[in-house]
Amino acid sequence: MQTPYLLWIILLPLAGALINAGFYFYHIKFREVPEKLFAIVGTVTPFIAFLFTLNLFLQLLDGSANFEQTLFQWLEVDQMSIEMKFLGDKLSIFMSMFVTFVGWLIHIYAVGYMKGDKGFGKFFAYFNLFLASMLILVLADNPVILFIGWEGVGVCSYLLISFYYTDANNVMAGNKAFIVNRVGDLGFILGVVTLFFALNQTGLSFTEMKANIHLASNDLLILSGFLLFIGAMGKSAQVPLYVWLPDAMAGPTPISALIHAATMVTAGIYMVARFHFLYSSVEEIGLFIAYIGAISALFAAVIATKQTDIKKILAYSTMSQLGYMFIAVGLGFYSSGLFHVFTHAFFKAMLFMGAGGAILALHHEQNIFKMGQHRKRLPIISATFLIGVIAISGIPPFSGFFSKDAILAAAFQEGQYLIWGMGMFTAFLTAFYMFRLYFVVFKAPSKQEESYVYTDKTITFPLVVLAIGAIGAGFLNFPAIFHGSAFVDSWLAELNSVKLHMSHGTEYALMVASIAVAAAGIFVAYKKYYNYDVYKPETEDGLIGNKFYIDEIYHVLFVKSIKKMSVFFVETIDDKIIDGFLMATSKGFVNIGKKLAVIQNANVRYYAFYMLAGISVISFYVYITLIGQ
Amino acid sequence: MIDVVFLALSFFAIAGGVTMLLHKDPIYCALGLLISVLSVAGLFALLSATFMFMVQIIVYAGAIMTIILFILMFLNIRAEDLPKEPRKNILVTLGVIFMIPVNLLIMEGVTRLPDADMSITNKDGFGGIHALGMKLYQEWLLPFELISILLLVALVGAVVLAKRREKKKGINNV
Amino acid sequence: MSSLTGYAAVSMILFSLGAIGVVSRRNIFVIYMSIELMLNGINLFLVTFARYHFNMDGQIMSIMVIAIAAAEAAIFLSVIILLFKTKKSLDTNMFTQLKEEVK
Repeated sequence: MQTPYLLWIILLPLAGALINAGFYFYHIKFREVPEKLFAIVGTVTPFIAFLFTLNLFLQLLDGSANFEQTLFQWLEVDQMSIEMKFLGDKLSIFMSMFVTFVGWLIHIYAVGYMKGDKGFGKFFAYFNLFLASMLILVLADNPVILFIGWEGVGVCSYLLISFYYTDANNVMAGNKAFIVNRVGDLGFILGVVTLFFALNQTGLSFTEMKANIHLASNDLLILSGFLLFIGAMGKSAQVPLYVWLPDAMAGPTPISALIHAATMVTAGIYMVARFHFLYSSVEEIGLFIAYIGAISALFAAVIATKQTDIKKILAYSTMSQLGYMFIAVGLGFYSSGLFHVFTHAFFKAMLFMGAGGAILALHHEQNIFKMGQHRKRLPIISATFLIGVIAISGIPPFSGFFSKDAILAAAFQEGQYLIWGMGMFTAFLTAFYMFRLYFVVFKAPSKQEESYVYTDKTITFPLVVLAIGAIGAGFLNFPAIFHGSAFVDSWLAELNSVKLHMSHGTEYALMVASIAVAAAGIFVAYKKYYNYDVYKPETEDGLIGNKFYIDEIYHVLFVKSIKKMSVFFVETIDDKIIDGFLMATSKGFVNIGKKLAVIQNANVRYYAFYMLAGISVISFYVYITLIGQ
Repeated sequence: MIDVVFLALSFFAIAGGVTMLLHKDPIYCALGLLISVLSVAGLFALLSATFMFMVQIIVYAGAIMTIILFILMFLNIRAEDLPKEPRKNILVTLGVIFMIPVNLLIMEGVTRLPDADMSITNKDGFGGIHALGMKLYQEWLLPFELISILLLVALVGAVVLAKRREKKKGINNV
Repeated sequence: MSSLTGYAAVSMILFSLGAIGVVSRRNIFVIYMSIELMLNGINLFLVTFARYHFNMDGQIMSIMVIAIAAAEAAIFLSVIILLFKTKKSLDTNMFTQLKEEVK
């Protein structure tokens, strides 16, 4: 049914971005604008958007039909007609609920974090713009509009990663993010185009495609599924297009929290869930997606065990958890994957914000061993951090346990024992490195006297709210064997996810196994790091410490080779061949002219000779014609 | 008989021309030209052009060749004043090669004409003064007058060119 | 032999010799005399055809040519004297004022 609110959900953050941008121009050109103004505009608009989303959510809960809003006809070429149209069905509203809520909390956090920064207004303009783009992505009715949002979040990610642009490394990190994303975007566009033609050019909106999916041949569906997943690989940092995510930590912590933990990186999973009608019919691609997810999860977890920068550890942990989500959606368990997205948003955002608070308190120190050396007393931050770490390790009754366990059980049920095994080992490693982080930063003995540091309310308030969510969100999808409502599963029923149906015995056994694995990881971390001497920090050495040299390999394979090719084109083909050819032509003309100029040597006898030669030639010709007759 | 005379006169004409072409000293070239001119006068006579024969001897051989020799001696040319012509023979050969097609063309055209009587004749006073005079003043009056103007111009020009120039400040003497 | 072809041949040979002389010799006197030889050759050609067609026009033209040759003699030789006075040489390769210097 038609509603005007969908547009407002998007328009509010967008308006906030434009207003902040306008004020920022005023700020740098004319007079100073107080930070409070930017902060108010920046935080109120997402909150109102959240309220609108909540309203639509409640209506859907009551049993209303899906919401739609058509703005205008955008393109119409032959059979391809694209409308600027938004769709508010259960999936979109589910996504936009936690996007706006977590986004709003992080905006409040950013007010405290970015205090005193020169580009305060610019930051909030970009941040709101990001939120608007993410909402466009989530509320889109057809893949082209989704792509607008897709690109928009990519641009904002680039702008925000390079926020501290005076350091060239940050700009390079932003470039890396954008370029690697571009590779994925190419796959996405090709996938959409293939799908459009596979469906015999009937309609492009999601609802139309869902209805017509039977028209397409299986091969074309496999191809488009694969291509679309390449886009997800880039956006959600899976192997092999993940290299931008660790470098993206160069940006300020609020964006690491929002973009690279809770929202943008989940766009890939959202997209796979959106195209569920496609992926359900091509199970080979689904299995491929699951394997990529499992590999990425394991790979990232291994690397994270040796990292020393707190934000990079969290980045690799994000990549690992995203791998879990892809395992779920790859095997057809869309609602389980999306549930993990939901819980992950809460505890990962909280972990990042906690890390940011600690970084701020310890004067921008990011090495965990140095942070351990200079520890101060940060009660709320360390408490919420502990909650987050427990949640991500999958210990009940915190939320991470329910969502992660559902995914592992799904893998086991489908007979994918390799994936299940990788997932279990990754859970062990996750618990290990997260507790390593916690112990080294907050618990290992420090020779320093711990003085209490007051942390701003804008920083602690979101942390507390998210902690409640991290603890309680698990109960939203309480599994049926515990007599829970499995609310999220039923909410997302129209995705036709595969349902968990194993015997209670197996399910209990699996749960116990995953708890045991997590506990083992915590135990090992405890033994090693609880009393660790932080004055002898670990260094990033060896194969794992150097991230398996993947960055260097990519550099040699792609960057150097393309650069060589560019240089070749510029120097050889452009300068020598094309330019050379043109210059040779013009020089050739000049030379011919110079040689011919010798004829005009002002010696009149030569001129007479030339006349004679001419007459001779003409008469010879006439003679030949004459004797021919 | 006529043929023998013709051949002799042609031989002298061509020999004189060749001498003029190839010799280094201009006096000898002038001599060659003189012989050639006189032989051509003879050929005119063979062609029943009696007036032309006389005009050729008087004007060409008598006046023009005389003035050439006069100027040659006037300029007092020594052997070292003569220009060095290192590639004369090559150029002459080249010239011969270039002239052959022209000759071929003309001869080809001429041989296609029908035969006619070329013997010496005096019919209607052909080639005589009377016939020539009548033609000149009746049909060719305008060219005749123009030629006289031309001769006047040449006269004036020669006088102007030969005048001694006063030395003017800063202007070349040419 | 004294047919049209014979006279035409002689006249063409004389003309050719004159043309070759203009082109290949450097001495200015020889050039002038070659010009005169060319004119002679043409005169012979004209008179031949006057006899061939039994028409006096050829001879009239021939007389015009002789008159012009006379006029030309006067001018040409005055110019030779002037050139010899300036350059003290009879070499035509010396007179290259028409040429622009090529850089």
